[in-house]
Amino acid sequence: MRARSIALAAVFASSFVSRGEAQGALSLEGLGYPTGQFSARAEGVGGAAADFDALSLVTPASLAGVGSPALFLQYSPEFRRVTTPSGSAKTTTARFPLVAGVLPMGQDWTLGLSSSTFLDRSLETSLRRQAVVGTPTDTVTLTERNRILGAINDVRLALAWSTNPVFRIGIGGHVFSGSNRINFSQLFPDSSKYISTAQSGRISYAGFAASVGIEIHPSRVIGFALSGRKGGDLRAESGDTAIGSGRIPDHYSASVVFDGIPGVSISARTAHDAWSSLGSLSATSVKAFDGWDTGVGIEASGPRFLSRIVTVRGGARFRTLPFGYNGEKVSETSAAAGLGVPLTRERASFDFSIQRASRSAADIKERGFILSFGLRVSP
Amino acid sequence: MKLSPYLPRLLLTAALFASVSSCSENLDSSGACPILCPPIGGDVQNITIDAVVIDTTVQSLSGLGTEAGLLLANRGDTLDTRVILRFDSLPEKFTPTGDTSRAIATVDSAYILVKLDTLSIVGPGPVTIEAYDVDTTANDTSTAAVLALFRPDRFISSQSFDRTQLTDSLKYFISNSVVLSKIQNRQPLRVGLRATGPSSSQMRFFSTEGGVAPLMFFRATPDTTTKPLTVTPFSKTPVGQSILASNLTDYTVIAKAPPAASATTLSVGGLPARRVYFRFDIPSRIIDSSTVVRATLLLNQIANPALDATDTVRIVPQVVLAGKVVTDPVKASQIIAGISADTLSLHPGDSGLTNVELARAFGLWRTQQADTLPRAIVLKSVTEGITPLELRFSSSEDAVVALRPRLRISYTSKVPLGLP
Repeated sequence: MRARSIALAAVFASSFVSRGEAQGALSLEGLGYPTGQFSARAEGVGGAAADFDALSLVTPASLAGVGSPALFLQYSPEFRRVTTPSGSAKTTTARFPLVAGVLPMGQDWTLGLSSSTFLDRSLETSLRRQAVVGTPTDTVTLTERNRILGAINDVRLALAWSTNPVFRIGIGGHVFSGSNRINFSQLFPDSSKYISTAQSGRISYAGFAASVGIEIHPSRVIGFALSGRKGGDLRAESGDTAIGSGRIPDHYSASVVFDGIPGVSISARTAHDAWSSLGSLSATSVKAFDGWDTGVGIEASGPRFLSRIVTVRGGARFRTLPFGYNGEKVSETSAAAGLGVPLTRERASFDFSIQRASRSAADIKERGFILSFGLRVSP
Repeated sequence: MKLSPYLPRLLLTAALFASVSSCSENLDSSGACPILCPPIGGDVQNITIDAVVIDTTVQSLSGLGTEAGLLLANRGDTLDTRVILRFDSLPEKFTPTGDTSRAIATVDSAYILVKLDTLSIVGPGPVTIEAYDVDTTANDTSTAAVLALFRPDRFISSQSFDRTQLTDSLKYFISNSVVLSKIQNRQPLRVGLRATGPSSSQMRFFSTEGGVAPLMFFRATPDTTTKPLTVTPFSKTPVGQSILASNLTDYTVIAKAPPAASATTLSVGGLPARRVYFRFDIPSRIIDSSTVVRATLLLNQIANPALDATDTVRIVPQVVLAGKVVTDPVKASQIIAGISADTLSLHPGDSGLTNVELARAFGLWRTQQADTLPRAIVLKSVTEGITPLELRFSSSEDAVVALRPRLRISYTSKVPLGLP
């Protein structure tokens, strides 16, 4: 009937999108939580024995000590409680952080193929907030639900060489891959008046790295290990579109093990991760911090169970998590304990560990129990 | 050292319990919000625009006789409606109990049973319902021809009811002789009902289209033990138009209706039934690049005190599915689909701002280009065609700009889901 005459009586409420950098837990900042890539055995000693553990994925040199073909699978649920001044949340995250296969090739060479969770980003949050929809007095409670599932995984093919117990060396090639599936919805209360929205997205990651490690045992009572991983590019894509790039963090570690007490092994390890190389993989400038990861632990032959010697373990670990909260570093302190039981005439073994992890930043505290169940089978 | 046999079992049981309990993942850390999970989606943006490019009142073309109810009204100078019932197929023979078939020679206790919507009754006083023979060879859809037959020489019968007699099953007795005459002369019986009385009255019968057809009963013998014959409404004309003929088995004829609204006023409901057609021009950036979470058509209601100003009229917006090739709003208004089960209840006598929620229409429009599916809706009454109540609204031609229809849209922009 009449021509359109747009008169904007309109109200542009505040600005466009504000992306939150926090994701419901301190340990889930940024690209996610670094599981450590340790086996249940190494976790039981605070990670201190990881550089001497063939089933952990930190140094290729340790593969040489495995002796027989082996398959290893690990399950590590985490029970977490996050406490903030405004409330707390309890979560359970089920992870399968490590699967590995080791194959000795002749007397001197050992091949290993393994995959581990590098950064786990599994989270879900629901935020209820007031929103003005319509006139300035039309206020409704809007629920924003954000669910992200996925991880960046580290797949390593490694080769180790050793001709005697004194010296071992190994090299590894790493492919980092994985994805994050993101579902975001805004839910309104009255479906006859409002329409809830839903969006979904997927980010895939691809990157490469190479690692090398050596292990020296100058005597039967002491051993040293050094390892390093040089990171290559890590690209993030959504569909066919590149949305960011960074570099796989360089990683260096040094360890020592003391076997001077019969039946007891004491180890210590320190590692440095250049997590800041992932800082560019952020849309909201989440700050990534380089950090140290230090652990000490003890492993001892313990009591007998069904005629088998049970290995008991204990340890402690301190590290800085890669991604900060509000620009502040998030530190993690863990106390660990575990045990190992040989099964079926030494052709299999079961390792169990429990870690009590404490993380904090600002006035937020996070406590987590991480249980790890590892099963190694030598076919 | 040897472990107690119970300790390992205890440890294994605890480990098993922990592993099983962790199988059901619970990632929801909402309790840590809002500190650890600030808003992601940003604020909802609200704009109000003069998006109406066409708004017009159109007739409901569902057609004579398609209404679900038959309105019989005597509202003085305001409203006068009649009900037409066609019994074009009358039985000529009957079979007495224990006897053989024979021609009908007598008619006894003839009555028409109608189902009355007692909630529709208006007026406390008694009402007299007169029946007229409205059989004619004139055009079937000519209401003028039918109305002209409500005259003394066509009078069949009359029956008065007080308010307490108006129950949900109403027996209206008609002249036995007229029925017998129609049977014996092989003529259709077409009855026109008119309400009269000292005061206003209005009621609604269920129609064939409403699922409860009026029925005629009579006995073909004075023997009261004989089961009455049942006659269902049927129309033989117009010949060759079976759908129209079916619709015309029972229908409402409007003898007098309230005056129509002015040209600058939009009307919903009333008799004959009207709808309002709206077509919008909505910025594509809103439909294509954002998510509409609420859309409200802002209408200024104009008081219409003509009939039952405080009664409730329920209206519902429906989206127009007619493509761009259907340029006539009258035709486009017939090709519609529901977008919401919710209705909006209004009183004809009220005035002021009225909000009609349209968000669900945007869900459809988002999937179709505007040059394929015009952004158009229809406002119609839920009781279209069976109630005389009419709502009125200011149109886009109203002299007061502020009273013209507007569209308020609330939308959110897409959140770039991706890197943290």
